[in-house]
Amino acid sequence: MSGLAVSGLTVVGPAGAAVVRDLDLSTARGEVLALVGPSGTGKTTVLRAVLDVLPPGLTRIAGRVEWDGAELRATRRWRRRHVGYLGQDPSSALHPLLTARAAVLEPLRVLGRSRAVRRARAEQALADVGLDPEELGERLPHQLSGGQAQRVALARALAADPDLLVLDEPTSALDPEALETAVALIRRRRAEGRSATLIVSHDGSVVAGLADRVVRLGMPPAAAPPAAPRAATRARTAGPVLAVGGLGLDRPDGAPLLDDAGLAIAPGEFVAVLGPSGCGKSTLLRALAGLHPVRAGTATLLGEPLRWPVRGRSVPALRALSLVGQDPLAALNPARPVSAALRRPLRLLRGLSRREAAAEADRLLAAVGLPADTARRYPSALSGGQRQRVALARALAAGPALLLADEITAALDAGTAERVLDLLDLLRQKEELAVLAVTHDKTVAARADRVLRIGRSMTDDRR
Amino acid sequence: MRVSRVLLVAVAAGGVLALALGGEALAGREPTRTVAAPWAVAGPGLPLGADVLGRDVLARVLAGGRDLTLGALAAAGAASSLGVAGGLWAGWSRGRAARAARALSDLLLVLPLLLVAMLAVVTVPGPAAVIAGTVFGGAPLTLRVMADATAQARHTGYVEAALSRGERGLSVLFREVLPAHAGLVGADLGQRMVLAVQLSAALNVLGFGPPPPEADWAAMLRENLPGIGLNPAAVLAPAAALALLAGSVAGLSHILAGRS
Amino acid sequence: MAADGARFGGVPRVIVRAGALLSCASTVIFLITEALPGDAAVVRSGGRATAEQLDRLRAEAGLDRPLAERYVSWLAGTLSGDPGHSLLTGRPVAELIGQRMPVTLTLAAAALALAVPLMAILAWAAVGGPRPLRPVITGLVVGGAALPQVALAALLVALLSAAWKLVPPVSLLPAGEPPWSRPALLVLPVLTLALPAAAYGAALLRGAVADAVSRPFVRDAGLRGVSAAAVALRYVFPVVAPAAVRLLAVVAGGLVAGTTVVETLFGLAGLGELLVSSVGGRDLPVVQAVTLLAAAVVAAGLITADAVALAVDPRGGAAR
Repeated sequence: MSGLAVSGLTVVGPAGAAVVRDLDLSTARGEVLALVGPSGTGKTTVLRAVLDVLPPGLTRIAGRVEWDGAELRATRRWRRRHVGYLGQDPSSALHPLLTARAAVLEPLRVLGRSRAVRRARAEQALADVGLDPEELGERLPHQLSGGQAQRVALARALAADPDLLVLDEPTSALDPEALETAVALIRRRRAEGRSATLIVSHDGSVVAGLADRVVRLGMPPAAAPPAAPRAATRARTAGPVLAVGGLGLDRPDGAPLLDDAGLAIAPGEFVAVLGPSGCGKSTLLRALAGLHPVRAGTATLLGEPLRWPVRGRSVPALRALSLVGQDPLAALNPARPVSAALRRPLRLLRGLSRREAAAEADRLLAAVGLPADTARRYPSALSGGQRQRVALARALAAGPALLLADEITAALDAGTAERVLDLLDLLRQKEELAVLAVTHDKTVAARADRVLRIGRSMTDDRR
Repeated sequence: MRVSRVLLVAVAAGGVLALALGGEALAGREPTRTVAAPWAVAGPGLPLGADVLGRDVLARVLAGGRDLTLGALAAAGAASSLGVAGGLWAGWSRGRAARAARALSDLLLVLPLLLVAMLAVVTVPGPAAVIAGTVFGGAPLTLRVMADATAQARHTGYVEAALSRGERGLSVLFREVLPAHAGLVGADLGQRMVLAVQLSAALNVLGFGPPPPEADWAAMLRENLPGIGLNPAAVLAPAAALALLAGSVAGLSHILAGRS
Repeated sequence: MAADGARFGGVPRVIVRAGALLSCASTVIFLITEALPGDAAVVRSGGRATAEQLDRLRAEAGLDRPLAERYVSWLAGTLSGDPGHSLLTGRPVAELIGQRMPVTLTLAAAALALAVPLMAILAWAAVGGPRPLRPVITGLVVGGAALPQVALAALLVALLSAAWKLVPPVSLLPAGEPPWSRPALLVLPVLTLALPAAAYGAALLRGAVADAVSRPFVRDAGLRGVSAAAVALRYVFPVVAPAAVRLLAVVAGGLVAGTTVVETLFGLAGLGELLVSSVGGRDLPVVQAVTLLAAAVVAAGLITADAVALAVDPRGGAAR
């Protein structure tokens, strides 16, 4: 048959345990195949096994990968000639010393046409993804915005009109505008009927409309009702939890990021912050947490004026604001067990005794849906999703009035993300926890009471 | 599995260190007494033969590592702790002084430390020169590695969480940053130790070490090189001892570095 | 445009840095040799002179002048090509250095010519070589870098000279003959210098190469099927080159320092041996001049390294 055919694919890990077992999949030219499943079900492993680039430790012990009816031999050459690939982090996949045009020209070498023809194709590829080759062609990646860099990578993947296009997690790899461009281009390829497309995603909703066929990996985990942590006593005020006015922020290199921004968050309110990548969403949260210098602006927290640098803040202010970051790998100290990470804020900020702190730590773990024996474990023994939940438990330990959440569900599979968001909903109702969440996940934004959009200033979509 | 491998190498390196430090007790014969003809080959009671002055090579090898190892330990400890402290500070503080310290250490990095020690030996005794050379040449390396690690750790979730619960800079550095980089610090200490052993071997072989009757591995090499045709063991045994000491410490350091 | 600005902005910085290194080195050299415990006159006279003789000695050597003044006149003399006279033999230091230079230059050049390709091969093999060989090569590199030079020298003499009788154990050159006239004499010294330097360089370069290979854009290139040669040439090389050249400067500096041990062990009359005997005899003008020369070599290496880094990566000036 034409296109890609995989049969009986089995991949084992270092201990011999099967990561992927006896998987069949195929996609003909003119088709779009989606491989969907929660994180940790081996989607990326399947993709790497198909491309024959398994990382050390993983071995393909059985299975056949065929292209246009023949078993693949020289896979590197096959990838170079027939595959267009867009990875999970496209902007960091660009060579820092190659201009946008040079990056797009690279896959065109295999065409062997004249320089002028290749150059014209590269310009066309850049234009197809909505970039002006005149303006941006000679820029190096560090002179491009995050979204532009993503588009350059997309243009590079599509430039040679590859027979097989492979997209790894495009919904989290691309910002919404770039994703829209990608979807339109994939539709066009499908209509032309010459080439096949393979999409891997944990987000079934986006790919469902695009794919001719969907292969699902793994079972969704059974949802357990989360138990709420015991209410931490806290002074309540009638007004907003946090009110900020005239906020001005700069990038670390001094370029202005935000001017005269304002926001107010009521108790129990869920506010989502949206905006293109690189617009300063994360910086806004870190500034509110006192971890990024603020150029101008004032803030009131629970009716008291809030000092910007975290060092100048009082204990009640420290308790009231909690930040959860986006990188689950660096969220926890590798040298300390989970229990230490949870007890420290309990003892320091809530003044609990050693025994009280231990009991409260267990409750917090249960609240984020982790078994009690997690407390004794070290971060290296936890998965990304588990670490993120520990980080959330640590943020909730102080009994905050406002949770600053930076892409907290980006590293989680759909089932776990759902549970974490349910837990936040519960805390919002029971304890009037307010949440300010930076996200580009539409399911998160859908739960919010309000959405803030960030450009150079901030706009507020009231619902 | 990896933990047991670290343990294995650590025990081996510890054994070599212990032997270097306390080997003299096992010698059973005075390392400075003449007991045979110069460069006599191995025989009963003289498992490694005799050296240039007819002294027992085995006894001298067992005794000849103590001062060198002690000196290297002191030098490595000084260089590493200075570098770690400086690195924590330079990586954490964003002030001008911290930047200047990094620039200065970048400059010092390229100075060959053997030359620094040679300069120092003009005015101070050998062991002090080893310490000076190791500190001048080694501490900047440590500082740089540690400063980079600290600057990176500043933006990790666990450090930001510690700051957000009101912990002070010093407490964050010692409770969070330093424990998280324990492997790095251990590996670095090992590397400085290797540097110090190499430096001390070089200075001693050039004649700036302990005065003649004392046993010393590096000095033994020089004394016995002319007699290598007669009793190769007199040269190879101290060479092997030096190689074993430096190699085992380097191996441990390499494994620790791989784990961090 | 921004890139060009960085390129031109970078050149003076390179020179400033090398200048800073040299002035830093000259100060350290002068301070350590002149200002540490004990009066240089006492040191020079070996402690056997009377107080009156000492005063005369001090005046003769200009030691009664303030430290800063002596430093400036020393530096000015050295820079204008007259670093003074040897205290031991009374001959001009410049002449001594000129005599010894060819041996050391030959030795260092030969060792560098051997060490540099070896270093590159080892570093690449440890990261990108056949998988089962990688740990072996890594062990070899780590162990070789740790091996004290004198232990290697002993091993080489035992093997090449004593056991296999390939080369003479010491390298006594007939007077007046250039060092390259008897290549057999240079085999042991060159190997002793080059092998640890190559291992040390490879150990550091291995880290830089492994770092580069694990960069997302390099991995991504492999995934996209870019050929291994193109990945090495277009992706890894430009990333590693600045670090590698800088490393080379450090390795060259270490190699120059290593000539002290090697020349003394094998009996070659070069600059290294001159430094060792001058340190032993407290011949300060010679010690100062030779170490400053070594520092100048290191600074020259550093300038080259920075210039190459700037040429390869125009962001160099802008980054940080």
